[in-house]
Amino acid sequence: MASATDTSVVRGDTSTYETVAALTVGLAAVLFFLGLAATVELVSITGTLAGLPTLTTLGLLLVLMGVAVAGFGLLSYRGVFPTDPRASAGVVAGGLFAGLWGLIGALVAAETLGLGVVGAVAGGLVLGAVGFFATALPREDIGSTLPAGALAVFFGLVFLLGVVGPEWSWSPANFPDAQAVTFFAATVAPFAVMASSLVVGWAAAKAYGGFGARGRHLGAYLLVYLNAVSIIGVLVALVAFVVFKGFGPVTRGVEIGLGVGPATTIGLFGFGFDIVWPVSWPFLMNGASLFTDITGVFPAIVGTIWLVIGAVVLSVPLGVGAAIFLTEYAEQGRFTNVVEIATNALWSTPSIVFGLFGAAFLVPRFTPQPQKSLLSGMITLGFMLLPLVVITAREAMIAVPDEYRDASAALGVSKWQTIRSVVLPAAMPGVVTGVILGVGRIAGETAPLLLTMGGGSFVGAGQRAKVLDGFQLSLSPPFVTNPELTQAATALPYQLYQVILTGTGETAGVNDVTAFGWGTALVLLGVVLAFYAVGIATRQYFRSKLTYE
Amino acid sequence: MSETEPQAESTARSSATTTGETDERIREEWSDYSFAGEAKLSVEDLDVYYGDDHALKDVSMDIPEESVTALIGPSGCGKSTFLRCLNRMNDRIKAASIDGSVELDGEEVYQDGVDLVELRKSVGMVFQAPNPFPKSIRDNITYGPRKHGDLDTGLLARLTGRDDSETADELVRRALEQAAIWDEIEDRLDDNAMGLSGGQQQRLCIARCLAVDPDVILMDEPASALDPVATSKIEDLIEELAEDYTVVVVTHNMQQAARISDQTAVFLTGGELVEYDDTDKIFENPESQRVEDYVTGKFG
Repeated sequence: MASATDTSVVRGDTSTYETVAALTVGLAAVLFFLGLAATVELVSITGTLAGLPTLTTLGLLLVLMGVAVAGFGLLSYRGVFPTDPRASAGVVAGGLFAGLWGLIGALVAAETLGLGVVGAVAGGLVLGAVGFFATALPREDIGSTLPAGALAVFFGLVFLLGVVGPEWSWSPANFPDAQAVTFFAATVAPFAVMASSLVVGWAAAKAYGGFGARGRHLGAYLLVYLNAVSIIGVLVALVAFVVFKGFGPVTRGVEIGLGVGPATTIGLFGFGFDIVWPVSWPFLMNGASLFTDITGVFPAIVGTIWLVIGAVVLSVPLGVGAAIFLTEYAEQGRFTNVVEIATNALWSTPSIVFGLFGAAFLVPRFTPQPQKSLLSGMITLGFMLLPLVVITAREAMIAVPDEYRDASAALGVSKWQTIRSVVLPAAMPGVVTGVILGVGRIAGETAPLLLTMGGGSFVGAGQRAKVLDGFQLSLSPPFVTNPELTQAATALPYQLYQVILTGTGETAGVNDVTAFGWGTALVLLGVVLAFYAVGIATRQYFRSKLTYE
Repeated sequence: MSETEPQAESTARSSATTTGETDERIREEWSDYSFAGEAKLSVEDLDVYYGDDHALKDVSMDIPEESVTALIGPSGCGKSTFLRCLNRMNDRIKAASIDGSVELDGEEVYQDGVDLVELRKSVGMVFQAPNPFPKSIRDNITYGPRKHGDLDTGLLARLTGRDDSETADELVRRALEQAAIWDEIEDRLDDNAMGLSGGQQQRLCIARCLAVDPDVILMDEPASALDPVATSKIEDLIEELAEDYTVVVVTHNMQQAARISDQTAVFLTGGELVEYDDTDKIFENPESQRVEDYVTGKFG
């Protein structure tokens, strides 16, 4: 292997070794994602995989990987490959393997050998100690490969020998019947596969880098990379699941063509004209009533949009104003600290508390009789959004360089004008980011709406919140009134809750309540994403004014 | 900038005020400086404290108009603090307290009823690091006049026919030409100023300062963040500006002070003004031994 270029800087030809190690890393990644897929039942534990029973295939792959990784360690130790291992794999890795092997020891002693609690403790301690010392004492190439390989081989054999088969289950005896817990193979096996493929992948990545600093870097890189990819994977799975389930109900009866859609009267203060939509999309355009063929969520969409608009209009000026005062005017000290703690605490306050406040304080105030209303809902959600706007606007303003303030002051420009013309524009992208985050939360909020806005879960299209039409002028105070705001309205998350939980759909002409629920969820997702898109475009607009491109 | 100075001050103070005798000797040396004509700025017994730190000690000097006055000295000697007293920028530092008198054209700057807007319009300032606003070049120049209400290019003004757009264009052109940057950025006036190079940004900042039509321009190490080519452009510019404006420049760079200034004030550690005289005299034949050591590089 060693050649003329084998110096301390340039390593010799290690292509075969590296290829095999890279293949092992790839195999570990594949196994990890198989495990991940099995947890969401994309891969069936009881079915087959690649022609063999799933657990057999997984077991074979685990044994293969385990042997390969242990082989890397031994071959590196014998000096067959030019590697650069440290004296020890380190205490952290030791602790990790002590934990993994200790757990295995305790479970095997207590359950397989039937030694009870004492046996579990003893077995755990013994195997944990073995795991620790096997990792921490020998040279790095042995210490980081053998315990990892042994773990994979152990789980592989457990699957291959049928100790844990597809129908396996385990009910720990110590739990009283009322709290009985049962672990099924479908739950346990994927996690065993993921855990062993993580440690084996880590060991193989270290081997690929030839241990030492480069190996550690690659090992850590693999773990971080798998972590990031699995986070994205979970997100994609979630969205894909909702889209998959909701697409059918949402697109039922869609027609495109001139004049197929419903007629809309666009108008404000009584003036208006009719347009006929060229698209008919029943789920988005219909309400729910006994006379509609395909029930839809139009009133709930309108309600959600008005809620978000109301909450943003209420909270952004107040929040940005508070942030200006706290950052630019208030003396930094105890008072600002208290305000900061209070805003942070307010942001993490459970939403039902805001809902209770709204129900007790806002609901009785706008109408002669206490009545849940769109306005109460807007204000409650506005209060919920307020702390986040304050926090992010404050952060954004603190991040504006003092050089801008100095430059403006040196030109003789007053503080308020400086804030308005220099600080606020520079802080705007940050403020918008905060609002985007907050809108995502409040648009999906159900608990406060339950208590403050109410509204039937199935509302006809005609009963939507017609806020623009609702404005009425009068000659006596308060001159402008809008009865729509003081009436109950419905919103998507609230409707979703009603449909899923109370199953009130059948009486309102909904044939398939579950499908209706998934459709509502997809629409809610779409509305929130649409608000995100608006927010991101706004942020981009403000950012483009600040930078040169 | 000056926030870093108080720390340096405390260590230096003990060594500088060894005896009252040296203070007396130094005092006689610099107070003889006289020049023809009226003083533009006249500083009398100025003391500045940052909390407990005595950052500037009993400084008195007269600055002649339409000339370049250089303030040199080692870090933490109080020269930036002195500069920031001239347009009351030190008011923005809460811990700073100022005692003494600064007169601009015979008017006391430190008294009740001084309009800071008017003061800072007549005494402009350019900072060490170029700090253009993240706005277009045009907006950077017109920022001051617009905020002072001298220019109105808003929608309402356009609708009511009181639009000052032409005046604004002239102003932008005049300021940029004065700052010797018009030729370079003539056709990108609506681009963001952050896209300019460091030297261009600094000249833009000078143009922005000129746009409010000051009498005095204070510059706090205006070239220390720039490369040699940009520095020489700034130096040429300072010399040109001195024909119409009173320029006070703080600099670390003694060659720069020697090149561009008409008179030089040397501050040494402890916040004292040690010697103030014609630049030639300071660099060729200073009165004080300490100043000679400093300008010849034996100390500081």
